[in-house]
Order: sequence, then C-alpha cells, then structure tokens
Amino acid sequence: MSNTNGQIYGLTILSPIVQDHVLDISHAIELRQYLATLPQDHTSPFSILDSTHMARLVVMDDVVYVGAPACEEHLKSRYLVFETNFDGDLDTYLSRMAAEIGDVVDSVWKHCVGYPGVTDTGAFIAYMKRCQIDTTFFFADVNDHTVKENLKALQVQSALAHFIAHHQGLPPAELQRAFGQLLCSLDKAPLPPPGGLPSEKTPAEDRPHE
Amino acid sequence: MSSIDVSDIQGFALKGYNFPYARYLLMELLQPEPARTFITGLLASKITTGERWDEKPLTTLNVAFTFNGLLKLELPMASLISFPLEFQQGMKARSEILYDTGRNAPQHWEAAWRENRVDMWVAVNANTPEALEDRCAEVEALANATGGARVAQSQPACAIFIDGKASPKEHFGYTDGFGNPDFQGAERGCVPGQGKLTAEGNWEALATGEFLLGYADEAGELPVAPIPHLLARNGTFMVYRKLHQNVASFRAYLNEKGATYPGGKEKLASKFVGRWRDGTPIELSPDRPQPSLVNDPDRHTNFTYADDPRGERCPLGAHIRRANPRDAFGFNGQLVNRRRIMRRGLTYGDYVPDGEPVSDTDERGVIFMALNASLFRQFEFIQQQWIEYGNDSHQGNDKDPLIANHGGHGKFVVQGTMDPLNPPFVCAGLPNFVELRGGDYFFVPSLTALQMIAAGSIDPR
Repeated sequence: MSNTNGQIYGLTILSPIVQDHVLDISHAIELRQYLATLPQDHTSPFSILDSTHMARLVVMDDVVYVGAPACEEHLKSRYLVFETNFDGDLDTYLSRMAAEIGDVVDSVWKHCVGYPGVTDTGAFIAYMKRCQIDTTFFFADVNDHTVKENLKALQVQSALAHFIAHHQGLPPAELQRAFGQLLCSLDKAPLPPPGGLPSEKTPAEDRPHE
Repeated sequence: MSSIDVSDIQGFALKGYNFPYARYLLMELLQPEPARTFITGLLASKITTGERWDEKPLTTLNVAFTFNGLLKLELPMASLISFPLEFQQGMKARSEILYDTGRNAPQHWEAAWRENRVDMWVAVNANTPEALEDRCAEVEALANATGGARVAQSQPACAIFIDGKASPKEHFGYTDGFGNPDFQGAERGCVPGQGKLTAEGNWEALATGEFLLGYADEAGELPVAPIPHLLARNGTFMVYRKLHQNVASFRAYLNEKGATYPGGKEKLASKFVGRWRDGTPIELSPDRPQPSLVNDPDRHTNFTYADDPRGERCPLGAHIRRANPRDAFGFNGQLVNRRRIMRRGLTYGDYVPDGEPVSDTDERGVIFMALNASLFRQFEFIQQQWIEYGNDSHQGNDKDPLIANHGGHGKFVVQGTMDPLNPPFVCAGLPNFVELRGGDYFFVPSLTALQMIAAGSIDPR
C-alpha cells in the first residue's frame, strides 16, 4: 500500500512556493535562508515530534536538463519538498505539527501558495493533504519498529553489552542476581530522548604504558 | 587476459621483494630542474622493475611521489588536475574520513609529515645492512650532487630476526604477510584464497585494473587515472602509514583478558586477528595452531566464511575477516572484489620477546604500505567502513580490535558456542594498540612515466 509500511507512514509533500517578481528577495531564497538556520541534530524541531524517524525539507527549483537526448522540461513552479517518516497515522502527525512546532511550520510554509496557517488545524490538515503525493517507496531501515521501540532497543543493547563486559565469568547464581538487577534497572530507565542516545562518554584517552 | 609489460612496471607494485632490510627515504624536492636531474640520475642507477630475477639482486630501488611532489616537478596543470581528488588532497586532508582523529590526528604526526615536507618516497630494500647502507648513500649523494632533493625523514625498517633468521613476525607476535590478491598478468599463478571467488566456489585472479592503471578493472572500466594515458598506464597509487605499536598495552590487555577467557590467552589472541599467532587460520583450525597448514601455500589462505556465518570459529569482527571479508557478505564474495588492496609492509624497531620488559614509548611498529588503483574505492573504503566501523559485519559501532582508533573505549565481541572452551566473550575498554605517526598518498609511476617526468615532457594535449 502506498504511504505506509506496517505502522510507519512515509509522507511526501510538494508545496508550490510563491513567485512574486516584485520582491527584492524571492520567497525561495528567503526559505532557503531560513531552512539553513534549522538545527539538524537532536535539537531539530522535528525531535519535538517524537514519532519522527527522519524529516527533510528541500527547495526544488526545477528539473535539471542534462542535455540531449533528454528532452528539456521545466516545472511550473518552485516547490518546497517535505519528506518525513513517522509512526502512526497522518492526521495525528499533522495535528501535532500544528500544535507543537507551529512557529516553525509557519516560518517554512508562509512562503508557499495557499498556506492557511496553523491556527485552524482542520484547514492546515486539508492544505497539507492537498499538497501530498503518494509515497510508494521510502527509506524503511527500521523494519516496522517505532521510534520508541528503536530507542529502547538501542538502550538495551548498550546496557547489555556493558553488562556482559563487566559480569562475564561470574558464578551462575551471582550472574543471575546481577542480570535480574539489570532487567529491573532497564524497566525503570527512562526512554532515551529522540535524536539518539546520549553519545558514549569519551574518557580522556588512555595513556599508554610508559 | 591482460598482458602486462613487467619491464615498465615498478617491481614494488607487482611483488613483495622479501628482503629483510629496507629504508624509506622520505624526500623533500627542491628546485624543479635539479629535482628532475635527480630523478634522471635515479633512473640511470636502475629503478627495480617487475622483471623476473635470474639472480636476486643485492638491493632494489623504487620511487613514488605525493601530489605536492608532482606539483614541484612542474607537471602540466592539465595533468595535475586529472589526478583523483583524494590523491590531490593527500592523506592528512582525509583524516576525518579515515578516523585519523584523537591521538592519530595529523597534529600528532612526526614533523616531516606534519610540515608537508615529504614530496617523494625512495625505497631501498636490501639483503644485508651493508648493501642497504651503500645504496642509500648513493641516493643521498645523488640528491646532494644534483641539489634536487634532501631527506626530510629517513625511515628504517627491518624484519624481526628470531634465532638469527628473518621472520614474518610483527611486534605483537603474529605471523604477518599472508598472501596478497592475485591479479591477471602478475607473475605467479592464482593461489587458492587470494584472488576472487567464482560462482562455482573456485578462486581466480582479479582484473588487472584493480591494481594497475590503464587496464580494465572488475567493472570492465578503466580506473580513474591522470592524463595523458602514458603518464598513468602501468602506474598505481600507494598509501604509506607509519603505524606505531603499543606493545606494552597490547600484552597487558591480552594478559588481563586472557586470564578470564576460558579458551586461554593464545586463543583470545587468535580471535583478535583470525589467525593463531603462528599464522594458522582459525577458520580452518579453531582449536589449535597447525604448523603444517601455515607452511602450505595451497591451504594457508584457502578458506571462506560461508560455513561460519555466526562467527563461531572466526569472530565476525576479527581483523582478517574485516580487512578481507571474502564471502562473509554473501553473493560469492562479489561485494569485496572492488575493495582489495595489495599490502607491502615491514616492521621497524627492536623486537622484544613476550615476557621481557617493554614500553609503549619505544620506537616500534610497522610501515604499512598498500597499493591499489583507487585509494578512494579500495584503501579508504576498507579503512572507514570495515576497520573503523562495524555495520557491514553486523558489529554495530565496534571497530577492528587490533588496529582501530578506539580511544580507550573500544569493544570487541568474540562470538562463541556451547563449548566451554569457546564461549561468547566481550572485550571492552579497548585502547589504541596501534597509533598512526604519519604518512601520505603516493603515485607510483611506470618507468615510462618516470622518464617523462624526469624529462619534463609530459604532454596532456
């Protein structure tokens, strides 16, 4: 089925960018300048939408003519391309975009034709769906696991590796007790924040044996 | 099958000479005209080619240039800009890509590399220390007489002698230098395990263009090479890395972990590399070293990983399984045929037998040199993806246990079985057993190209 792969949704939106030849700076340029200021790490606004696997915003000027024998074609407009993969259904995600990162959404889509703003969530959702094109094939590296499941799995993997390294070779009873404690602490451990596990501590590099 | 003109190819690019002594004169070129005269002089004193020896010579002589060297030799701009980008940039500029960071970062390299003073690599291999001394003195006298070059660093190298005999050991105690990829046109026939796997599971030689410029490669294309064709053909690219070995750290780590690993210290050492320290491949003999295997060229590199997908014999992250995964990634090994390198290397520094006092700070290690048609596609890929990362071998962020840049927090998983002497085991807190002290990317020209460089007659039009 297009747009979905199990519980993961692949959204592609193409919003035409306003063309106003009277302006000193075009909307496309202003939009690019704004996008360049958005952080791409764990402080990205999309990390607030914690069901997001990945999101990408791109300004597409035109299709590039690569020379004969290709035929020369052009788009009617410049487009903002928005790609995102997330968990759950489309309406929930779009509502969250409006509610939780509305200022960013406004700053981006205000350059696009017909953008109604986020105040009227229904109008915003309808607009986004009008700009949606079917996504038939998208990056699905997570094999139908949600962001939360992935973060938990990474947390468990890292804790388990640490556990083995520090407990291997213990007598069975002691090992079992320690393993029970590990399971307990993992159960209680808060989920790592979106945007990745806190990077492994980098201790001062070991000094060689002098 | 490509036929290659061995008399036009530097011997170093075709075969390992198997001499116990070497010196790498890392030279700074001075003015262009005297530098070209210096090269003319070297040509007159006979650069060693790939021609078959009726009698082994006392010494060999080979040369290669960094991009800076070629700039100083005033190659035409049209030729210079046609070299692959990574060669133009040099290894220092590629340090982030290669994870040559932290203690391995260029600011910690030896002065000649740090200060970009190495334009040319002049390698002398010899059978005796006296012959080495004489030939190096000849080269240096020529450099002085022509005023074309001076030695920025003189790097000695010498095989480790055990019981008075040159051995293939390196400082961690492993037997090194098993085999190199076979390619079409090279002197010897195909040795089982050293070329590429066919669909039927046989071994055959790789395409010449994986190792020499001007010939078709495994994709049936000509490797990216400088213009004109005569400058490139029969040449190749070389990476030179001075790898310092922290022998004390290695032994301390192995003693510590080996004491708790149920298979024992030597077995753990074998899991690191994929070979017992005598060289026996653990894929073939997981429980004990077998000297008869080591000494049999038809068997010592003749193995695959298809029957060991879970790393129960050779761990998925072991050094030789990473550096040359053979068929480990499926598809009859076709995924690795374009990622092969020819290794040349020699140890430097005094060997300290196991159990004797040793220090990390002693000058000791290996001069690692590898030849390939594309530094980017071959050496750099292996270094970045297979040595400094573990995804392809399903080892996550884990790196090569032996040679990677771990910074004190590396991890190596030894896969195992229900056998109490072969249990799963995790080595954590890996330090850097090996540290990079400098190096660069070099172009190894053919004899024809060298003559043209010396004559200043390269014409890219």
